[in-house]
Amino acid sequence: MSNPPNAPPLDRPALLSALRARIARLERAGASEAMAARGEDAIPLSPAIDAALPWGGLPRAALHEILAAEPGAAAGFAALVLARAGGTVLWIAPEPDAWPPGLARFGLSPAQLVLVRAARAQDALWAMEETLRCAAVGAALLVAGALDLTAARRLQLAAESGGVLGLLLRPDEDNAAPTAALSRWRIGAAPSDSTSPHAIGDAAWSLDLLRCRSGRPASWRATWHGSELVTEEGAATPARRRA
Amino acid sequence: MGVGEGGVPSDLLTNATAMPLPLPPPLIAGSGEAVASPAGVQGAAPHGRARRTLALLLPRLPVERLRRPGPVVVWAQRGARRVVVSVSAEAGSAGLRAGQALADAQAIMPGVVLVPEDPAGDAAALNRLALWCLRFTPLVGVEGEDGLLLDITGVAHLFGGEDALRAEMLRRLARQGLTARAAVAGMPGVALALVRGGWGGVVVAGKQEAAVRPLSLAALRLDPALVSALQGLGLRDVGSVAAQPRAGLVRRFGAGLARALDEALGHAARPISPIRPPPEMQVARDFADPVATRAGIEAALDLLLDALCRALREAGRGGRRMLLRAHRVDGAVQEVAIGTGLATRDPQHLARLFHGKLEGLEPECGYDRITLEAPVADPMAGVQNGLGTTGRSARREELAQLLDRLSQRLPVWRLAPRASHWPERAVRRVGAFDEMEDFDGWSARPRPLRLLRRPPFIGAMALLPDAPPSLLRIGREAHRVVRAEGPERFEPEWWRDRADRKLRDYYRVELASGARLWVCRIGLVEPGGEARWALHGHFP
Repeated sequence: MSNPPNAPPLDRPALLSALRARIARLERAGASEAMAARGEDAIPLSPAIDAALPWGGLPRAALHEILAAEPGAAAGFAALVLARAGGTVLWIAPEPDAWPPGLARFGLSPAQLVLVRAARAQDALWAMEETLRCAAVGAALLVAGALDLTAARRLQLAAESGGVLGLLLRPDEDNAAPTAALSRWRIGAAPSDSTSPHAIGDAAWSLDLLRCRSGRPASWRATWHGSELVTEEGAATPARRRA
Repeated sequence: MGVGEGGVPSDLLTNATAMPLPLPPPLIAGSGEAVASPAGVQGAAPHGRARRTLALLLPRLPVERLRRPGPVVVWAQRGARRVVVSVSAEAGSAGLRAGQALADAQAIMPGVVLVPEDPAGDAAALNRLALWCLRFTPLVGVEGEDGLLLDITGVAHLFGGEDALRAEMLRRLARQGLTARAAVAGMPGVALALVRGGWGGVVVAGKQEAAVRPLSLAALRLDPALVSALQGLGLRDVGSVAAQPRAGLVRRFGAGLARALDEALGHAARPISPIRPPPEMQVARDFADPVATRAGIEAALDLLLDALCRALREAGRGGRRMLLRAHRVDGAVQEVAIGTGLATRDPQHLARLFHGKLEGLEPECGYDRITLEAPVADPMAGVQNGLGTTGRSARREELAQLLDRLSQRLPVWRLAPRASHWPERAVRRVGAFDEMEDFDGWSARPRPLRLLRRPPFIGAMALLPDAPPSLLRIGREAHRVVRAEGPERFEPEWWRDRADRKLRDYYRVELASGARLWVCRIGLVEPGGEARWALHGHFP
């Protein structure tokens, strides 16, 4: 597990990346068992996005923040991640309005989905933390307003110990505070490719990776086509805003 | 107690109450002896052992529950009259009695304290007492406004016999300042008639009728007019009424009298309606020193949980609900209940569920007895470690425990599909633990991910009354519609809907910003009328 790389010791980038991977494994020691049971530890999104993320996908055992520039598009992206995480999925919100007929299109069946209503922020945080510590859960989504750094850090630690993927769905505000989450996304709607005014075509999103630990910010325009996320080549420009 | 036991020959008593009073076992063991009663002992009378019932009468409850020193009288307004309802012992010895006019009572005893009656408070006090009586037996019922019935079948030996149980109960009630009378008999109706007739003691199975016959008519708890009519005929005790030909009695006084007679003589059964369903499993612990601290309560809870879970495991069962009942030293009883989704007997999980709720307890002067019971227990097979399925069932159990913890504090549910095309009815809420089969009957058309619970009305502009909207006004902002698909018409479900429900035409629209919405026009547009539009959901 912690064998030094066989490459020559002077290859500094290789050494550094091996050490980084080792530290990452040590940091998530508690979650390794839960993740080993599930097979893979990162959720694939689309080839272009996976290549830009240092983990080859959206990693489990971590907290990811989604800023919703448009509620429908953000919910769509969240549903996509939840469905691909598999297993039981919890949707924690002050007023959970997830609707299975629409979620089914992303492969999220009603048998997987558990809804929790938490009107008060402290209840919501408690529920999210308990959920993230439970290795039997696939992923959890928390619809929240502002979140202070301590609370986010607690959630991140809980996700690391349970091996659960946590999503934080927040409204897109300019004063978004620094976060303890592993990545921060802003999801907005994009005009679709449809040429006819009478057909709205496939869903199109603008995905901005605003912040990503040990990765670079990037932007994509993606369409949800059939059952896969198709990103457009050449659209990977740096994010408009650093967070 | 100042309760007379006269009127009945002493040979009817199984053994005189003069025998030294042994402490019941749960009290001797200060450290606590957990007693697990197996499933199904209470409830129906078991075969081979006669049923035994204890009736308790609290004649002065309305006065004594006030705990006022000196002579006290509780009065009530009856029409234009103010009458005395209940008197304390001191006032009673001065000649005051229930039924007297209040003015007479004041004339006899000018210094008496007058308190208006409070039937709701009396009922609550009696209920509290009934809960307190659960320390003696799990099946307790309330009778009228001053009586309690306890099924003591099979529990008397824990206290050293029926006499000792009765004496212990009266002693403890006296310590709370309550005058009480108790009688033990086979049938509930007999025991009740004995205490109402002013007699207290223990009657053996074969001598019930003989014990009831000499009692006055008060034992039957009849209408006062009926009592005076019977007395006018010279029938002054139960036995003389029972000796009359039954047919004539019923014809003249109604079936109620016959029913009361049968119950009092033990010919007809009288059910006890329990204040709490008898639990399937129960463990209890008594404390010589009252437990008042949180740490002490938690330690006691852990011991009780261990004992109960062991008993459940031996019975091959798992609890679905648990009830912690704490008896305070001053007689108050507090309860904390938890529920689980799947049957469980894992003490640690149950302890975590309880810990969140122990704050509800108010152990002012401490608890001297804590019981833990499982009112509902389901069969639960044991899981052998090391088999291939252990991992999966452990996962399932872990998830169930998480949902238990969450649902102690928050509403948790799942959404099950329902065969309805009407958007609000496409899913229904089910419990988080309900089984759900896979469903693939969703509409092939795109549906929103989030359905707004309170759809806002919006303004829309369309070129023609039934054309798709070309401009939406949401709040104060106007949005140009770039693309629109539709309409998709939803007819109301006449077989389950109200009559004036209007049909809806749904459009999937894309705004210039790229946002996709599910909007609908409600009803058909009348000529010259204004169409009403609502925003119902967000598309991805």
